[in-house]
Amino acid sequence: MWSEVSGLFRDYMGSGLVVLWFLLSVCYLFVREKRKHIRILFVYVPLLLLAIFFNPFVAGKVYAQVGLEVYYRILWLIPFTVVIAFTVVEIYGKLRGRKRKAFLAVAAGILMVSGSLIYSSPLFRVAENMYHVPQSVVEICDAIEVEGREVRAVFPAELIQYVRQYSPLVCMPYGREILVKRWGNRDELYDLMEAEEIDAQALANAARARECHYIVLAEEQKIKGALQDQDYELFDAMQGYVVYKDATVTLEYR
Amino acid sequence: MLIQQILQSCILGIGMLGIPVLVGSLFDGLFSHVDAPLPRLLSRWISGQMLLWACFQSICVPMILRKLRFSKVVYVYCALTAVLMLVAVGVMVKRKQQCRGSLRIVQERTWLKKRRNRILWGLFGAILLFQLVQAIRLTYADWDDAFYVAISSITAESDSMYQILPYTGGTTGLEARHGLAPFPIWIALLAKLSGVRAVSVAHVVVPVVLIAMTYGIYCLIGLYLYNGSGEKLPLFMIFTELLVLFGNYSIYSAENFMIARSRQGKAALGNIVVPVLFLLFLLLMEKIQLEKKISLSYWCLLFAVMLSACLCSTMGAVLADLLLAVAGGCIVVGYRRWKLLLPLGVCCLPGGIFLLLYLVLR
Repeated sequence: MWSEVSGLFRDYMGSGLVVLWFLLSVCYLFVREKRKHIRILFVYVPLLLLAIFFNPFVAGKVYAQVGLEVYYRILWLIPFTVVIAFTVVEIYGKLRGRKRKAFLAVAAGILMVSGSLIYSSPLFRVAENMYHVPQSVVEICDAIEVEGREVRAVFPAELIQYVRQYSPLVCMPYGREILVKRWGNRDELYDLMEAEEIDAQALANAARARECHYIVLAEEQKIKGALQDQDYELFDAMQGYVVYKDATVTLEYR
Repeated sequence: MLIQQILQSCILGIGMLGIPVLVGSLFDGLFSHVDAPLPRLLSRWISGQMLLWACFQSICVPMILRKLRFSKVVYVYCALTAVLMLVAVGVMVKRKQQCRGSLRIVQERTWLKKRRNRILWGLFGAILLFQLVQAIRLTYADWDDAFYVAISSITAESDSMYQILPYTGGTTGLEARHGLAPFPIWIALLAKLSGVRAVSVAHVVVPVVLIAMTYGIYCLIGLYLYNGSGEKLPLFMIFTELLVLFGNYSIYSAENFMIARSRQGKAALGNIVVPVLFLLFLLLMEKIQLEKKISLSYWCLLFAVMLSACLCSTMGAVLADLLLAVAGGCIVVGYRRWKLLLPLGVCCLPGGIFLLLYLVLR
């Protein structure tokens, strides 16, 4: 259990520098801070919480109930940001003259270098619309939605997570659960959709067996054979995707 | 179209700012150190939102468990909010009558007196504005949204709660882990009342409001720490912003959740509920040190915050109780105030009840 918990802590720390500044701040406050309420909240409570986090008994109990996946959230109870910012300002208050400005500049620089700019994450990108989902999802869903009923469509993996955020009227044979490898879910239709070269006949059969009214494929997707030959007619094309509709099913359109 | 958008924005503004500020005035007496207009507004906004979240959690979970329609939650919540607003207006009128004839205290805006302070606050405001603009301009691809945001969209559209699989659309039974912490339903409620799509409310409106609220809480904490004077408070706020902005040292940090995943309940737990608890602990210790009576409204607000933790995340019930036990225990021992054990224990009840419910239902 110790190795799992310390592994979680390492993951949480990242480079470890911010946690190092936090621990140094706690040490500084322990030595220099006389006000009882500050000592309680910024020294004793964080240290106690850290002790609880590393306690194998607590970790074992949490693991038994919810798994260790969310155990790191105990660390959210420790006010890293407030303690570090407070300590910096306290030290600043004790300095005089030019040292103050120099200290502020150095502290700001160190803190910026210790972490990483949140917007530098590759998962951030400019939103394409006010829904914050890809425009392709918006246009495809708007095109295939049918008033008064749900429709079922199979999408390429890169769109799956957005579809039902935008439109709950569009159902899918599989969703995000298929993308999380550690959950170990498998799906024959997904494998067919994500193949380098899609077998049109196999895909059409599998999609029809799962009652998919539509098949959405990237324009550049290689296909062996033609979906039109399998009674999936070309319905629309937009934003780099082609939508095929099951010609054997009648859906009422707006 | 434009008129409709303006109307929707007004409804969201009233729902997320106006109503919490009005309801939060019920706790005016608590924040005695907050006497300037802007901090007072902040304290009202934050405490009002905590009370509204607590009310929402109290009515929503039983209705989810009874598989009632979402529209019923909307009706009951709106009725309860209306009652709270009426009570708040009544209390305000009563207070005004009591204050009539007394000398009006003119607040000095010391924090803006010095040019240096103005510059520091300006810098803080600029960085905050940058973050809010980024929250609108940028999107963060997080797989958990496929669950939480989809739940909000489904709820607003289908009028059912946790009865439809968010990933695919099939029917399902209630999963206790999520049904007991209906933060996505609160987002669906905002969408339903405003007419804005739930996906927009979740990805744009909620992040902007909750990021601003987080800094509001830090500001109130700073007011306690620095007594609201001098340049220390704006400096504290600027360094807080720096730590948040450069808080991408890991994907698990609360700061990362605050900026990247603010529409998810767990982000609200780590960045709103937990800091509010620290604010309330500071308030409690101040009252103890000044030998002031700890009013019933303090315990009501603490109770509401503990309920709000349960709304944000199922784990929130445990985490809030853990923090209350540790910090409350330290305060009780540190100040030898054993009498506090009883009300602190009562405030742990919501977390305990929801944890028990989770263990029974899972």
